[in-house]
This record gives sequence, structure tokens and C-alpha cells, in this order.
Amino acid sequence: MNDMSWTPLGPPQPPPMPVAFSGSRKEFFRLVARGAGLELVTVGFYRFWLVTDIRRHLWSNTQIDGDAPEYTGRGKELLIGFLVALAILVPIYLGYFLIGIEAEHAKAFASIPLVAFFYLFGQFAIYRARRYRLTRTVWRGVRFWMSGSGWVYALKAALWGLLVLATLGLALPWREAALERYKMRHSYYGDLQGSFEGRGWEFFKRGWWLWLLAPFAMYAVFLAPFVWAAFKAVEWRWWLSGIRFGGVRLESTLRRSALIGLYWKVIGWTVLLGIVFGIYALLCTLLVASMDGSSIEDFFKAESAAKSIPWLVLLGIGYLAFALAMNVVMRVYLMRDLWVRVLSTTIVHNLQAAADVTARGELANALGEGFADGLDVGGF
Amino acid sequence: MTLDGDAADAAPPAPGATAIYFDGTSNRRRVVVPKLSDALEIREDGERLARWAYADIRRADSPAGLLRLSCLTAPALARLEIRDEKLAATVIALCRQLDENLPGRKGVGAIVGWSLAAAVSIVLVVLFGVPLAADRLTPLVPASFERRLGDVAEAQVKVIFSDKRCNNPAGQAAFEKLVGALRQSAGLDKSVQSGVLATQVANAFALPGGKVYLFDGLLAKAESADEVAGVLAHELGHLRHRDSMRELIHNGGTAFLIGLLFGDITGSGALIFASRTLVTSSYSRDAETNADSFAIETMHRLGRPAKPMGELMVRVTGNEGGKGLSIVSSHPLSEGRLARMGKADAGSKLNGAPLLSAAEWRALKGICAGAGASKL
Repeated sequence: MNDMSWTPLGPPQPPPMPVAFSGSRKEFFRLVARGAGLELVTVGFYRFWLVTDIRRHLWSNTQIDGDAPEYTGRGKELLIGFLVALAILVPIYLGYFLIGIEAEHAKAFASIPLVAFFYLFGQFAIYRARRYRLTRTVWRGVRFWMSGSGWVYALKAALWGLLVLATLGLALPWREAALERYKMRHSYYGDLQGSFEGRGWEFFKRGWWLWLLAPFAMYAVFLAPFVWAAFKAVEWRWWLSGIRFGGVRLESTLRRSALIGLYWKVIGWTVLLGIVFGIYALLCTLLVASMDGSSIEDFFKAESAAKSIPWLVLLGIGYLAFALAMNVVMRVYLMRDLWVRVLSTTIVHNLQAAADVTARGELANALGEGFADGLDVGGF
Repeated sequence: MTLDGDAADAAPPAPGATAIYFDGTSNRRRVVVPKLSDALEIREDGERLARWAYADIRRADSPAGLLRLSCLTAPALARLEIRDEKLAATVIALCRQLDENLPGRKGVGAIVGWSLAAAVSIVLVVLFGVPLAADRLTPLVPASFERRLGDVAEAQVKVIFSDKRCNNPAGQAAFEKLVGALRQSAGLDKSVQSGVLATQVANAFALPGGKVYLFDGLLAKAESADEVAGVLAHELGHLRHRDSMRELIHNGGTAFLIGLLFGDITGSGALIFASRTLVTSSYSRDAETNADSFAIETMHRLGRPAKPMGELMVRVTGNEGGKGLSIVSSHPLSEGRLARMGKADAGSKLNGAPLLSAAEWRALKGICAGAGASKL
């Protein structure tokens, strides 16, 4: 009470605060490599704990004004959320099947529009998953939280999605701006309400040429990573620069080219791992064929390949190893490195406006995360 | 308690070492002096803000070089942050249960154990539970629902293959005679619908709700009425056993459970597909073998051999090969089927009259040649 070291909006403005990241890359690599191994051993169930550990690492090593946030979610919560979501999704899938039959009865392939329902559901899951993550984020002993309705958000997302389709992607910045406004308006840090000031037009202005390049990128594949990386960089910068919590303002100076290297590294690793997997598959084939006593040509011609159990098992194991290695690559480059690059260009203005925030808000359950997992959707 | 007291006496509280305290109700950063007596006391300007018992103190996530503490009995988000290394070491020594709520080696072991148990149970359910459920549930599905399913499947088949139904009058009469004889022998009622579709694909199939379709491509490859009759009897066997319905339940259940098993490993889609194909095709091979048995019985009841059907299958598929024939991959090997039918024929007296006269057989072969369907 008597601590008046922070004078809100006083004339001598303290300098803007850069955000730092202190985590070691080696430690993160160990975390995801070990996690990938455990995912293999647990046929995927370890994902809930791995995701939790990744978030704990990223959150607790991010320093804002010298203080690191804390992720208080736990793997067990995600597992329970997943199981509850499953219990809800099973009857929905059944109902979907029965309605689909009736639609198909009226006209062949008439059930395809029903997929739209799952799109809505996916958007709902994204909103609720964000709420879970936010309420597990604590900074200086006060948690973030979220209000608003997942279904309203889903409806907005779907209608804007239709507009984006109709305009061949041109409306995308305005869709993102509208959805971010809804999300941020319902986000709070203690009693400090969030808002989003990014405008669709600003986004479009910074990256309008990307829309022109996109059709070419579909034909010239080597162009696609450049276009995509530039798009993501523009999107990140615009998104971060639009975020407000009360008087606190974020700014990002991320350059358009900042993420291109990351995507090419992922592509390089994918090619390398693909070649290794190809060689492995070839060796397996040679081995099994030689044990079979038939030449390679006969092996495929007689279709004994599809019936040879050892061959299938060897390939399955190799494929799993490939998929897990890819997972490690994606997490190191597209989660950790991307996170660090984006953070290093982020500046917090007027943080003193958040110097005396009163804690508010309740914890949200992990049901949204469960739905997102069950429906395979992701997002912020 | 005495141990805690001893430890506190042994390690003198670092005088002057400060820490940062957040009380969990506001985000105000308070510089406090932790005092280590029989409990951890948090003091600001000599005033006591909180008193945390050592047994209740837990570690919270923090960056390297910082010890962040929470307390079970304090507000959930109250935090004490200690940067002073000596003070941190002393506190760590005093709080025995500091890391109790973090998942350790034992926790990971439990996760692995339970996951393996869940995986084994899912595999067992896929191998034994789902086929059993499909067998038990199939008779419970109302016939009207099955017919609706059949209508849906029929509409899709017609879009994919051909909606031209051959109806050359003489050929149609021969076809109906053949199906009628088989139907009576198989003990099926008149609700069975059947027809020949003008498609080059050499195939035949049964749809739920009593529909049997023969493709002209298969008819073109057939050399006698018995060959076609065997194939039709095989498809009637699927109808009799309600195999489509059973397969639907079986495949749906298997797909769901295997999807559950592999969950989120990126790129597991191919793996899910592969293991599903293995499971469901082994199941469908059983169904095919049963339908073959049914076909053999039906043909023998008419006094006709089943072996010609096997010969037709071998002619269509070639030896072990499966060139462009969708029904083969999930079926037993053609040679095996032929051998089985030959053996069955050898053991029974087959002196029934031919199912179709030579003229009727010619008419059936030409069922798609008439005005009904024009082929390019």
C-alpha cells in the first residue's frame, strides 16, 4: 500500500521492456527427445505430459521485466479432459453417422456438408483450449483468465471462414482481426482486461504481395517455404503488436525474413530423415527377400511384400522412428526456436500499468484441450 | 519437528538476504526477508506477512538460478522467489517434501505402465471384443435400417461405377431364372434385389438390405452358367450372413479404437491405416470363407458343382495376382478357394440339371448388348 515506487503515468517514463528467454536449447532438446521416446513406449499416451513439460519449460524461461511466468497445468488434467471429450464425442460421431445415412439416402454424397459441423466444433475446441492454457498461466502470483463463449466464437470463426473462402483468402486478415478482438476482449490478467488493436488493413498492407505470390507458390514448390515463412512472420508481428492489457502495450519488430531459415532447416531435416528412412527400408527389403530366397523383382511381383509379416513389422518400426524424429525436429525448430526468435523481438511498453493488479478469475477445465486433441485441431 | 528445529539451528538464516514475495491476491512485488525458524516466516519491514510450515512448501517452476516456492496452506498462487544461493540451499535442505508434487521417475513409470495396460486392453478388444460385438449387434439392427444403408451404398456405387443397368429382355429372363433358383436353394425370400451393371470391372458384390450386383466385366470372363451361379451364391451367402452390416460395425469399432491407441504421434495416420487394414482384412477373409462354404452348399443342393466358381476366380485374378480387382486383397487366395471347392465337389454326388440351357446362357452373356445399355 505504502509502496509507491511505481507512479502510474508519471512524467519520467521508464524505458520499454524487452522480453528475454533464458532456457538452454540442449535442455529443451533432451526434453523433447526423451518425450518422443516415451511417446513411443506409451503408444502416444505420454503426449499429455510431454505437452505439459514443453509448456512449463517455455513459460518458465521467458522473462518479462525480470520475472518469469509459470505454467501450472498438469498432464493428468489433459488426460482427464481427453477422456471426457471422448465420452462426449462418441455419441456425436454416432449421431453424425446416422444423420449422414439419412442425407445420403436423399442424395448420394449429400452428407459431405455435415463436415461443417465438425469445423464448428473444432473452433469451439480452439477457444476452450486457449482458455485452459491462459488460466494455467501465472505471472507475479496472478493468473490470466478468460470469459466469453466458445460457441459464439465458433460461429464467428465459421462465418468469417465462409467469407475468406468466398474472397479466395483476401479476407483472411480481417477474419483474424475480428477473432483476435473477440479473444482478447475476453482475456484478463487479474482485473486488467485485454484488448486487441490490430486492424485487418494493417496486416494486409504489410503482406499484400504474399497474396499475389501464393498462387505461384503452389506451382513452384521451392517458393512455398519463403512465402509461408514471410506470412507467418508478418502475422506474428501484427498479432503481438496488437495485444493490450489495460495500459500495457506489446510491440514486435520481427522482420519478414526472420523465420525463413527455420522453415528451411525443418525441410532439410525432413529430406535427410527421409533419405535415412528410405535406405533403411531398402535394407529391410533386401534382408527379408534374401531370407525368403527370392529376388527383389519376384518379391514385389508376387505381392509377397504385402503378406510378409517381418517386412511389414520392420517397416512399421522404421516408420515410427521416422515419425518420432520428425516430431523432435518440429518441436525444436518450430516451437522452441520460433518462440525464442519471436520473443527476442518483443517489447513491452508501459508495464507499470500492470504494477498493482488484483487477482481474479477461476480455473477452466481441460475439456477444450481434450476436444482439440480428439478433433486434431490446434491454435492459440 | 525436532529435526526441523535442529536443521534451522544448524544453518544460520543468512542475514540480510532478501527474497521477492507475491501474496497471490495482487501482483505487487514485495521485497521481503525470509526468517527460518521452526517455519519459514516472510517478513516485510519487520511485519510478518506469512508463515509457511516447511512440510507444506513445494517447488514451483522457475528459470535457472531462481528458487520459486509455493505453499499448500497459503493462497494457491502465493510465491516466494529466492535468488540468493546460500538462502536457497538452506531452504531446500529444510523442506523435505519440496519436490513431492512434481512427477518424478516413479510418476513416469506409472504413466508408462498404465499406458501399456491400456494399449494391451485396446488390442485385445480389437482382436476379440469387436468381432464378438459385431456378431452380437448385427442381428439387433432392424432390417429397415439395413435397407436404408443399402440404398445409400447403392447410390454411391452407381456414381462410382455405372448407373447403367443391363436389361436386354432375354438376358434379364435368364438372369432372373438363375437368381431365382439360387435364392430358393439358399432359402432367401423374394426381397432380394439383383441386377447386372454395365461396367468393365470384373467384380460382383452384395450390399446391405438384400441387393446383389454383378458387373458385366465378370460375366464377359465367365465360360459357363455354373461359374456365374457360384459367384451369385457366394454373394447371397454374404446377404444371408448379413456380412455388410457386421463389417460396418467391425470396421467402425476397429478404426475408432486404433485411432485412440496411436493418437497424436504426427504422421501416425499411415500407421493407423496399415494396422487397420491388417485387422479388417483378416476379418473379411473369415467372412469370405464362410460365404464360400455357403456357396458350395447352395450349389450342391442344386446338384451343381462349386468348382467352376473357383476356376472363374483364378481366371480373373491370375495366380496369386490381384490386378485391378478390388475384392481380392481382402479375400483368401484364389487357388486355395479353387482347391477347396474341388475337394468339396469330389465328395458329393452332383447330378442336377443344368441351371440354364445353352440358349439362356448365351442370352445372359449378352444381357448388356441390347437396347438397355449402350457401351462404348
